[in-house]
Amino acid sequence: MSRALDAARQHDLSTVVDTRHVIVCTGPGGVGKTTTAASLALGAAARGRRTIVLTIDPARRLAQSLGLGKLDNQPRPVKGVDGLDAMMLDMKRTFDEVIDRHASDPARAQRIKTNRFYRQMSGSLAGTQEYMAMEKLYDLHSTGGYDCIVIDTPPTRNALDFLDAPRRLTDFLEGRFLKMFLAPGMAAGKLATRAAGFGAGLFMRAASRLTGQAVLGDLAEFFQSFEGMYDGFKNRAQAVYHLLQQPTSAFVVVATGEVPALREARFFLQRLESDGMPTAGLVVNRVTPPPPAGLAPVTPQAARAAAATLEQDGPESRAAAALLRLHAGRVEVAQRERHAIAAALHGIDPRALVQVPLMATDVYDLPGLTAIGQHLYS
Amino acid sequence: MATGAVPAEGGGYTGPVETSALLDPRLLIVTGKGGVGKSTVAAAVALASARQGARTCLVEVEGRHIFSRLFDTQAWDFTEREFRSGLWGMSIDPEASLREYLDMFYGARRLSRLVASSSAVEFATTAAPGIKDVLLIGKAKELERRRNPDGRFCYDLVVLDAPPTGRIVNFLRAPDVTTELVNVGPIRQQAQSLIDMLSDHRRTNLLLVTMLEEMPVAETLDSAAALRGLGVAIGPVLVNRVLAERTDKAASKAMAELSAADLQALLVTAGVELDAEAATALLDAGAASTKRLQLQRRQRNQLGKQLQVPTLELPYVYSERFSADELGILASVIERAVEG
Repeated sequence: MSRALDAARQHDLSTVVDTRHVIVCTGPGGVGKTTTAASLALGAAARGRRTIVLTIDPARRLAQSLGLGKLDNQPRPVKGVDGLDAMMLDMKRTFDEVIDRHASDPARAQRIKTNRFYRQMSGSLAGTQEYMAMEKLYDLHSTGGYDCIVIDTPPTRNALDFLDAPRRLTDFLEGRFLKMFLAPGMAAGKLATRAAGFGAGLFMRAASRLTGQAVLGDLAEFFQSFEGMYDGFKNRAQAVYHLLQQPTSAFVVVATGEVPALREARFFLQRLESDGMPTAGLVVNRVTPPPPAGLAPVTPQAARAAAATLEQDGPESRAAAALLRLHAGRVEVAQRERHAIAAALHGIDPRALVQVPLMATDVYDLPGLTAIGQHLYS
Repeated sequence: MATGAVPAEGGGYTGPVETSALLDPRLLIVTGKGGVGKSTVAAAVALASARQGARTCLVEVEGRHIFSRLFDTQAWDFTEREFRSGLWGMSIDPEASLREYLDMFYGARRLSRLVASSSAVEFATTAAPGIKDVLLIGKAKELERRRNPDGRFCYDLVVLDAPPTGRIVNFLRAPDVTTELVNVGPIRQQAQSLIDMLSDHRRTNLLLVTMLEEMPVAETLDSAAALRGLGVAIGPVLVNRVLAERTDKAASKAMAELSAADLQALLVTAGVELDAEAATALLDAGAASTKRLQLQRRQRNQLGKQLQVPTLELPYVYSERFSADELGILASVIERAVEG
């Protein structure tokens, strides 16, 4: 076990919920990001800080316990917790707000919002969800008056998409391909004739063979109606990126003890490092705790051998045998998880390493979130 | 599929698929909530199929390199490789799929080179609504339809490790979205042929992977409802990481009543000496396990009552590491189910 890892085990996320302004929870899908985010927000609010937790797609029961009955893009106070608001991101509405803010006049905003590509795209465009989460985060930061904003990132295939979203969007908006669409005359349907350069013309002819000319016309109109808004998008994306880099921000990477989840967590920690982002810790959820000291000498092999001798007797002996077999399995899983965590963190300093044991019941209410909090910040 | 789509001949809802018919379709699309072991189960299904003598191709679409690690092979790419007897694997990326498609249908190399230039590819594969997913499903269809010179299908079964349930509806709707936006031309024809494949219940089944816990079960129920709306046939639900039930009722009852001192005394007879604290810890672990088993039973009932689709339970595998051996255990359970 490396020294950085031992040191990280000594730290939890107390100072993070005490002091940081923006806390970003990130990690692969299904590892308990939303639960961790909600629990951290609860901790910050308990310390008297005005806090909001912004979540993307919470499980229904968790949403209910936070008082998020409907998806309305508005901060709502969480019942029973002073100083804590919660909000569920409505993608479509946030996208509409972005268009309203950046468009030069209401008529243009309206034209974009009724374009059929916009209606399809606002949900499916790669990186949109990530970009909108960033938008809303910045919005809450500049106008919300919160001491602490906890955000739960979208369940993307790859947690890296989250950091890449602003760059990808701006790269795309600046790209050569888009310039073809923005060439004068495109929207009028006079394909190729006046498009910029031979390459673009040939491309447009090829593309119209594949899809028909009407589609390209619509698409061109869509992109042209964005003209003049690109700088707004780009500046905003850069401002968000800059905000995330501040030492008042904190990234909390969430995983489970399973190898694929930890592997993604490792990539993300490396990425945070190379982007100069403030890593605050790794939370490993649902771990099997190592056995207490008194049980440590009982190896899985010894436990199974002893269980075999007890198996033939009365119910009590058989109960003891079952407990020994359970112990053997738990020791093996704990070992598997310990190795997986060490391998994932090889050569990496996660600052804090918090392991949250698998609870006997599912976590979805405030007492459950408080119980998780005991492990995150004591 | 959704509005406007014409189901292929042989389509139409045919009722739930029995577990014994799990491996019968030509394409299995495997999905599940993040963290339930969707990819592991997809690999186990493919392994079971190959062991049953079917020529099987396991396909990943998200470039996560899970299978090459699980099976301990070289990294996978766009070329299929036979890494076990009768079992091929490949990783589809949308760019390679786009290039292949253009080469195949439009021959003109200059054209495909131009269209496949970086900015256009970036647009087609990341920004255009649904195009990326159409390309991924399109490659799956190419594998599913491909024939040997003797006229027989090249693969008996294609197993696609699809995006998780949170994105599966958009993934499967992508061909529909394309036909809504594009009214004419080869792209529309391609999208329509994908709709035909996905809505033909003899060709395509969707396998939902879940776990007997509250959130995964709730998400599975929601997804099943949404997917039925799309007209995709749902195959048996694969329930992963099921804890073994305690069959010895008398022993279970005794465990709940056992004191730490009783336990210490019993264990001494088997040569295990524990202090009181360790004995209590062992009993606590037993009580927590009892609770999780109760939770598991509740969720099993919930799933059975609400879903009305046959389920196949796969055991939680206790071991120091999860590798091809553990995968073999899951594959054996699937093989027993299809053998009846």
